[in-house]
Order: sequence, then structure tokens, then C-alpha cells
Amino acid sequence: MMTGKEKKTSRLEIIFTGFGGQGIILAGRILGKAAVIGDHRESTLVQAYGPEARGGACSAQVTISDRPIHYPYVRRPDVLVCMSQGGFDKFIDQMKEGGALLIDHDLVQPRGFDKRFFSIPSTRIAEELGRKMMANIIMLGFFTAITGAVSVEAARDAVTDSVPKGTEEMNAAAFNRGCDYGLAVLKGLEKKAAGRAGA
Amino acid sequence: MTDFNIILFMCNWGPHAAYQALQDTGASIPDNVKMVRIPCTGRISKALLFKSFEMGANGVALVGCEPGSCRYGTGTANAQGHVEDTRGILELLGLGKDRLQLATFLPDESGSLLEFLKRFSREIEGMGPSPIRPATELIPVAERDRAIEEVVSAHDVYACQDCGKCSSACPLTLAGKPFSPRAIANAVIAGDIDSPSVQKDVWACLTCGLCYDRCPSAVDFSGFIRDLRDILARSGSDRHASHGEFFQSLMRTMTSRDLEVRPWQWLSSDVRTDPGSKTLFFGGCAPYFDIFFKNFLRTRTREILVDSLRLLNFFDVHPALLKEERCCGHDLLWSGDRANFLKLAQLNADAIRDKGVEEIITACPECYSTLRRDYPAHGIDLGCKITHIFDFLEQEIDKGAVGFKGLDRQLTFQDPCRLSRLENRPHLPRRLLNRVAPNSFKEMKDSGISAICCGNSAWTGCDSFSKALQVKRIRQARSTGSDLLITACPKCQIHLRCAMEDPFLGEELNMEVLDLTSLLARAIHWE
Repeated sequence: MMTGKEKKTSRLEIIFTGFGGQGIILAGRILGKAAVIGDHRESTLVQAYGPEARGGACSAQVTISDRPIHYPYVRRPDVLVCMSQGGFDKFIDQMKEGGALLIDHDLVQPRGFDKRFFSIPSTRIAEELGRKMMANIIMLGFFTAITGAVSVEAARDAVTDSVPKGTEEMNAAAFNRGCDYGLAVLKGLEKKAAGRAGA
Repeated sequence: MTDFNIILFMCNWGPHAAYQALQDTGASIPDNVKMVRIPCTGRISKALLFKSFEMGANGVALVGCEPGSCRYGTGTANAQGHVEDTRGILELLGLGKDRLQLATFLPDESGSLLEFLKRFSREIEGMGPSPIRPATELIPVAERDRAIEEVVSAHDVYACQDCGKCSSACPLTLAGKPFSPRAIANAVIAGDIDSPSVQKDVWACLTCGLCYDRCPSAVDFSGFIRDLRDILARSGSDRHASHGEFFQSLMRTMTSRDLEVRPWQWLSSDVRTDPGSKTLFFGGCAPYFDIFFKNFLRTRTREILVDSLRLLNFFDVHPALLKEERCCGHDLLWSGDRANFLKLAQLNADAIRDKGVEEIITACPECYSTLRRDYPAHGIDLGCKITHIFDFLEQEIDKGAVGFKGLDRQLTFQDPCRLSRLENRPHLPRRLLNRVAPNSFKEMKDSGISAICCGNSAWTGCDSFSKALQVKRIRQARSTGSDLLITACPKCQIHLRCAMEDPFLGEELNMEVLDLTSLLARAIHWE
């Protein structure tokens, strides 16, 4: 299982999936930017065009590596991030054995998946923060904290760099929220493993 | 007091005959013993025992009749309880419990009485002089009426329109007491400060701040009363202290610089703390309260501190504890003793300053308000951030991945006046309550900023109307249909439990009381 501690694996393949309009592609682009501009690594993005982008399951395939990437398509993701049930159903069988599954707590039920996964109510939190469309940024923060695939600073800078002018602060706050949630989840797992779940 | 540094309270009945026999035979009673003849050891309250130490006694012996030979039946048993509790407090205070001893003798046991006195005198000599220096005497106000006028102007009490909104909200007035904030304000402005009713009412005010909230002219009546009390106390007015002035005595003894208090020695070792941490946990006086009230109120306010520390540990914060921690001084400030409040504040500030502390977390609303507001207002800068533990918890829980075990209870909440009104933050505890019990929390009729006081503040002016007020409040709590009353201040817990002891109302008022920190510590878990 991937956690923040094993960050510098030489190659990591990620699929972001959700509804068209959730900002899935943008999340993929920001992730790639963070890896390349912030962390000085290589990255590619393959976007799912076509009817999917107009409301159905849509996906972004991101590869991050320390060496040049010759083949950008992701067949067997190390990390699968699902923000819709359709996305989960479509991609779960492709996920690598032992890969990390990240889902939106309220939108995805990981049916038939009996291993450990990470969930965050990203859409609900985004609503609390005042803008539902920031769910992708919250998920990105969560992804950064859980996987450590990119550094937190690089990801945050990439977020503020990629969102519409005037919303930078709001989106940075959303990113931090997701990141804090991810760190809390990791801490909880650590505590539970040590047998100290309560106060 | 200079020559006699051991006070011997001697019961008139059994042991006094033995003592007289010693005097008659010219026995060599240690000459540092000052004997005070009393009618019964059972009547020497904890406050009286402690008062001797406050005044600088090196040792106190309470000498009475053997159990079973008390003329009044229960005197010796009472004395045992009082001595045990006071010894517990002396221990926490760092004075050492052995400076207070109880002994009993029959009238013909003069030999063993002499032996006891000699031994006790030697022991006290071995312990050396008490580190307690009699606290700062109240400095008389040179021109009282001028000083009062200045306070009236400072709080702009002249702005009072005599509209009566304060008395229609004051919990004491509504409990039936012939008491009115505006009447006091007007009487003081008119120069009627010496009228008996004003002299009494100034000490009856709860300083809960509800009148300030309602006042259309924004006259801070609580602040006015606080400052007025200081002037009146310095002009020789009776301070109407409750519990025989025990708590004021306790706080004043803490102003002795050489006293090495031991406020944390009871803490169990599974609570993790780190002396080098930049975060300091400030506990407050709960451990003292528990000893003082243990025999009749089942008070467990110390658990608030343990549960707070456990919650901090839960979020991987291992705070430092201040081993020299003294009372924050809140109750001295609010019961007319600003001079000694300032001494306490200075001692705490001196102890904290060199530790490199960046943040102080406390679970006591009075400590919170005092450290945050009153210390700076009196020119004492702690140089760090003051955080209430609810703020810390809300921030951490909000990050997520934390859940709460379901509770099969109905809850209601008693607001602490210092947090909900003086700091104007009634929403803070409610956010936590709604996290831990979203479906089983119900507000009382008067809640939040309009909540009714627990019945007393600063251990001053408690009377039958305080009791009526508490009974009213508990009835409000019961009528919500709840079976668990959540509090957020150790004093709310003590005062409401006191009312529940009423033998006439009995079961009608009984309700389990639990602090919010304890509730959270029991229910919280990582998801």
C-alpha cells in the first residue's frame, strides 16, 4: 500500500475518474504540473475525450516518473481516484494488485472491493466551503497527503497557478483542507495499528 | 504570631482537662505552641484550619476527644474529615500534609498529650519555617468616594437609562431576590454606597454578564462590580465570602514566592507530557476543588484535566505542564482583591516566560478569560497565544477522519458565563456537541448568550437565592427530557451538584453531570 512514506518510486501511474464537469481533467493537469514544474520530474497526461466528457464517466491518466516516459497510456494504475460510481465500476478491475484506491465518501460505494481504501467526503466539504466545484481540488489535496506522489508545496503552487484568477486563495484553502484530511486519515490508521483508536 | 508558630486548637472537653493538668504541674509545654481553646474540634472548619497557615503558622494541631467520647457525638468524626481534606490540600500546595495533625486524648492522658506536643514541635522544627508569607494586606483607599466616582466614570455607569432591561434579565432578580443592577448603579451614583442593601448587593452579583448583554447603553455592570468590590474591600467592607473564605485564603497563600506548589503530582503516568514542548497545558484549580468537596458533592473536576490531556495526546500533542502553576487569580480579581490577583499573575508570568512557550491551552473558561483578557489588561504579558481546548479540538476534528461513538443518552448543556458571554463564544461548545451527539442534544429554555448562571461566581455572596436559581436551572435541564447535563466549567459542575444535594427536593433534581471534555474523550475515535 502506498502512503506518504514511500514517495520516490521511480514510476507511478494514476487514473483520476469521475463525471464530466467535476474537474477531473483539471485535477490531472495540476498533478502533472506539480510533478514537472514543482518537483522537476517527468509527467504525462492522457485525457479521455469524446462523449464521456459530456456527463458520463470521464478520466485523466497521469504518469509520473524520474525518467522520460515513452508510453503515456495507463493500463494498470497504481493509484485509482474515483469521484463517481460509474468511474469506479469501470476502472476498478484495472487497478494494480495492492494499488491505492481513493474515493469520494458520499458518491462512491466500493462494491465488491474488500481491501483497504481511502475515502473523503470531498463534495460535501466543498459545499461547506461554499463551492461544490472545488471538490476536485480537495481530492487532489487528499491524494497528495495519502500518496506523497508529489510534494505538498509543489501541488499547492500548481493549484494556485491553474485555477481562475481571483479564486487562488479559496482553492488553496480547499487543497489544504483535503491535505489535512488525508494526514488525519493516515494518523488514524497509524493509531489504530498501534491499538490506540480512542483517547 | 511571631513567638508562637504552632497553633493548637484544643477541645474544651476531653483534652483540655489533660492540658490543664500539664499547666498545673508546671510541665514543660513547648513554648512555640499557642493554644486556642475551642468548644469542639468538629467546628473547626477547613477554612479555619487553613486560615492559620495563611497567616503564617508553621504547624497546626487539632486536638480533640477520642472517637466515641465526643460530647456532641459527631465532632471527632467531622474533625477527621476536615483534617484529612486540609492535609490533602496542603500536600498539593507544597506545604506538606504533616504540618497539620489531628490527635485525640482522654482527660487523664496528660502524659501522652505532652509527649505529642513535644514530638509535634520537634517535627515542625525539623520542617523549618513555613514558606508562606502573609499575603499583601489590603491597601486602604485614601479617598474612597473619589475612587468610586472614578470607577463609575471609567465604566460610564452614568449612561444607565434606568430602563430596567437588566433587572428583567438578571438571574438573581428572577430567582426572587430583591436585587437590581440598575438600582445598585443608581444608588452608587447618588452617593448611597453606605446603605446596607448596597453594601450587601455588591457582593451578591453573579458577575455573569447577562445585564451587560441586555443593556442598551452598554454599561459593563460586571466590570463595574468587580472594580467596586476592590474599593469596598479595601475600605473594610465585609466580603461575604462563601465556604468560610477558604478559596480566597488558598489563593492568597499561593502568592508566596517561596512556596513550591505541587499541582500535578497526582497525574497518572500514562498521560504523555513533554517538559520541552512549546505548548503548555494550564490546568487550573480543579484538583483543589475535588479534595475540598469530595465528602459531599462527589466532585470529579480533576477528570476534566486528565481528559483534556488525553484528548491532546489523541491528536499527538504532548504538552508541557507548569510545575509551578498557581491559581490564575480569577476569583481574587472578581472578589475584590486585585493586589493579590496581580501577585499571582506576576508569579505565573515569571514561571511561564523563561520556558519558551508559544501557546497555552486550557480547559477552564475562567483561566482562559483571565489569561487572555485580564492579564494583558493589567499589563502582564505572557508572550504567547492563549487557546481554549475547545478551539484546539474543533480545529483538529474538523480536519476529518475522527468519529464519535454513538451515545444512548439525551444531552443538554450548561453554558459557562466566562466563555459564552464574557468571551461571547456560545457557538464553540455547541459545534463540538453537534459533532458528538447530533441527534440527541437539546437546548434548555435559556441557552447560549441568554443562559442562566450556575448560581455563584468567585466564591462570593452565596445565599438561599443562589440555591433557588440553581434549582430553577436544573428544572430547566430536566424539562428538556435529557438525562445527562453537560457542563464546561468545573464551577458549574460543583454548584449544580450542590443544588442536587437538596434533601427536600431529592430525586426531582438528580441528574448526571459530565464535562464536555470528558464526554469527548469517552466518545472520540479514529475512523
